[in-house]
Amino acid sequence: MKKEQSKKYRLIQYLRILSQTVFLFLFFYLLFQTRFPGEDYIGNVEIFFHFNPLLALTTLLASHTLFLSFSMAAITIVVTFIIGRVACGWICPMGTIQQFFSFVFKKSKLLRPKKQKDNHTAWKYYILLFTLAGSLFSLNVAGLLDPFSLLYRSFITGIMPAANHLFSNVIGLVYSAHLSSIGDGLVQFFETIDINSIFIQGFFLGMIFLGVILLNLARERFWCRYLCPLGAFLGLLSRWNILKLRIDMDKCIKCNLCTIQCETQANPYPEEDWKSSECVYCFTCSAICPTGAIGFHPALNPEHLESINLSRRKVLLSSFLGLIAIPFFRISPLRSRASEKLIRPPGALPEKEFLQKCVKCGECMKVCPTNAIQPARTEAGPEGLWTPMLVPKIGYCDYYCSLCTQVCPTGAIRELTIEEKNQIKIGTAWIDKNRCLPYKFGNSCIVCEEHCPVSPKAIQMIEVETHLPDGTIKRPKAPFIDIEACTGCGICENKCPVVDRPAIYITSVGESRSEKNQFILDINKEIY
Amino acid sequence: MKRRKFLKDVTVGSLLFNIRPGLFAQTSLPDLAVIQGESPAQLAKEAVSAVGGINRFVSKGDKVVLKPNIGWDRKPEQGACTNPEIVKTLVELCFNAGAKEVKVMDNPCNPARRTYVRSGIAKAAKEAGAKVPFCSQHKLKKVDLHGEWLKNWEVFTDFLETDKIINIPATKNHSLSRVTLGMKNWLGCLGGNRNQLHQNLDAAVIDLAAFFKPVLTVLDAYRVLWRNGPQGGRLSDVRIHKTVVAGVDYVAVDSMGVSYLDIEPEKMRYLQLARERGFGEFDQEKLKIEKRTV
Repeated sequence: MKKEQSKKYRLIQYLRILSQTVFLFLFFYLLFQTRFPGEDYIGNVEIFFHFNPLLALTTLLASHTLFLSFSMAAITIVVTFIIGRVACGWICPMGTIQQFFSFVFKKSKLLRPKKQKDNHTAWKYYILLFTLAGSLFSLNVAGLLDPFSLLYRSFITGIMPAANHLFSNVIGLVYSAHLSSIGDGLVQFFETIDINSIFIQGFFLGMIFLGVILLNLARERFWCRYLCPLGAFLGLLSRWNILKLRIDMDKCIKCNLCTIQCETQANPYPEEDWKSSECVYCFTCSAICPTGAIGFHPALNPEHLESINLSRRKVLLSSFLGLIAIPFFRISPLRSRASEKLIRPPGALPEKEFLQKCVKCGECMKVCPTNAIQPARTEAGPEGLWTPMLVPKIGYCDYYCSLCTQVCPTGAIRELTIEEKNQIKIGTAWIDKNRCLPYKFGNSCIVCEEHCPVSPKAIQMIEVETHLPDGTIKRPKAPFIDIEACTGCGICENKCPVVDRPAIYITSVGESRSEKNQFILDINKEIY
Repeated sequence: MKRRKFLKDVTVGSLLFNIRPGLFAQTSLPDLAVIQGESPAQLAKEAVSAVGGINRFVSKGDKVVLKPNIGWDRKPEQGACTNPEIVKTLVELCFNAGAKEVKVMDNPCNPARRTYVRSGIAKAAKEAGAKVPFCSQHKLKKVDLHGEWLKNWEVFTDFLETDKIINIPATKNHSLSRVTLGMKNWLGCLGGNRNQLHQNLDAAVIDLAAFFKPVLTVLDAYRVLWRNGPQGGRLSDVRIHKTVVAGVDYVAVDSMGVSYLDIEPEKMRYLQLARERGFGEFDQEKLKIEKRTV
């Protein structure tokens, strides 16, 4: 028998690697472009999300509203219907990263992942069912588990900030080596690409992603194989796909190489055990087959659901868990009373709808020019983990910026023009007279007033009396807040010279998006 | 009046080296040039030439830093930053005088990437060939400012390691110091928690002015932000004044700006203090002012 690998499938494999590379670069390109573009309006940098049918479906289920941009997801669905999970194998940047590290680990002898088969590929379906069951009853947990959300969030709040700090150290070394012209070039480059590098939970979010990468030590493409709910969703869709694996039994030498090398445990050999729902069409098996016996050909017979190997009991259990989880996520005082520190980006929907739509991807955190938007910890309750909130001590809402509203992939933050955004109040400023320099010590200070961006200013200066211990009275000018003019942007808190706990601070009360979180009757009623 | 004598000497010296008929005919240069007209670029050009021409201030091979006000994320017509055409004109003038390198920079209050763009200054200055770098934390250095009040502070080294520095402030109202003009413009060269300086702003402003020693100050009063400063917002906060003031004596230049904001210069404490310390003169009786409309 002639032993010869298939040139055709070798070529297809190269094309697949090329495609993966191109899309990975596209992912990074769009990620780096998610910043102030030098003009007020930014392009579709969040486009990857719109091809994601899992987020489309969960957002639709949870919020009962269809976000038009998600119509792109139909393309992914149709493609998967016809030719299977090619999106996983050829396009998904998360898959590419997993495959890359699997490859690296495989090539390094010490770290080689195990090859043995197991029955755990069904996990991802249970995760999917959990997610879908939750979103059916308006709990959007997809954001925690969806590969795009995970990938973007990890890069935006963990990996890129860490890389930025690393390069910052490198620049420091360059300067200390008196190579200032190189240093200047590097500085300007990093200032231009503008990576937000301060994130409250950056360490943990970065570690989670590192953990996902390290899982590839246990099995190749661990994430894609066992965990990815999007992969599971596409797997379910691919049952009827018409591109099926065929083994030419005349050529097959039963070496089992294909099944050993299969990265997603799709089990090419024997043919009848091949699982099209697990196959990501990487064409490795057909390319490495020593006799060129494996090919992919059009065929119409649908795959049996049994081949996905789900136990009916577990299907019910995981769906049930998704439902049971809902009340647990909702044990939180926030459902009855707003959190003072939960200052949502301008254009954020009312809290309930916001949580139904936000997928915690971090795009708004990336694009924010002042690094103000941070992933929430407990401020928004368990449902709101890693959802965006402004932390004025870190950054503030820039007056002429509505970028976060433009990059939100799910419409959790409504797209706004700058004029519209400036009509929105995200919170209200308050003065801590025990810490404010004029009130407390009688010193003049106008830093908050100076920075207030609205015209006329929401911070007015009034003369106050400060009694000093020696009996004298100082009459400095002190800030006074016009609550109707204040938009809650937080620049006053950010710039207050009392740095540890600013003497002027923002709380969420008065935010336009909430009917209840108000303190003066009918303030801003006409705005939202 | 040591400084004034020094300036006179420099003027005479440059006159001797600059044998041009037109210039030779001038007996003494004005302390201030106040030029009014339609085009900001032309005003800047005329103002500089009226106080002796750019060659008086910039020599061949010089590294020059221009310090406009790029503090706020505001458009030129909102008057919160220096007029981009005036900045551009000064860049061109510096290159005409043979400057080796011209940098235009500021450490703004809003993010630099935004203010550099929206103010129009980055584009205008780059068109004229200047470098428009961002201030970097890597280039901060704590220096002895030799001030009476402000002893040490972090300064971006770009403003220190240069041959010449030209101040190009905007004319703005400011609630604490009441005005923000040339001398206050130096806060944009500082890093650190500079907002603390506002607790003794007049003293800080004077110490900074004395430290940075600009060879020339060109005040953009084309648009005057007369209320809601220092960043304004509404177009009604701006008065179109169509004036550019140039001078070596930065106290004198600031005093002109103060008068455009409807304040008598004598009432500004920081000008009084600056005069007491011999940095300049604001009494318009004692100044030689060339006023022209072009």
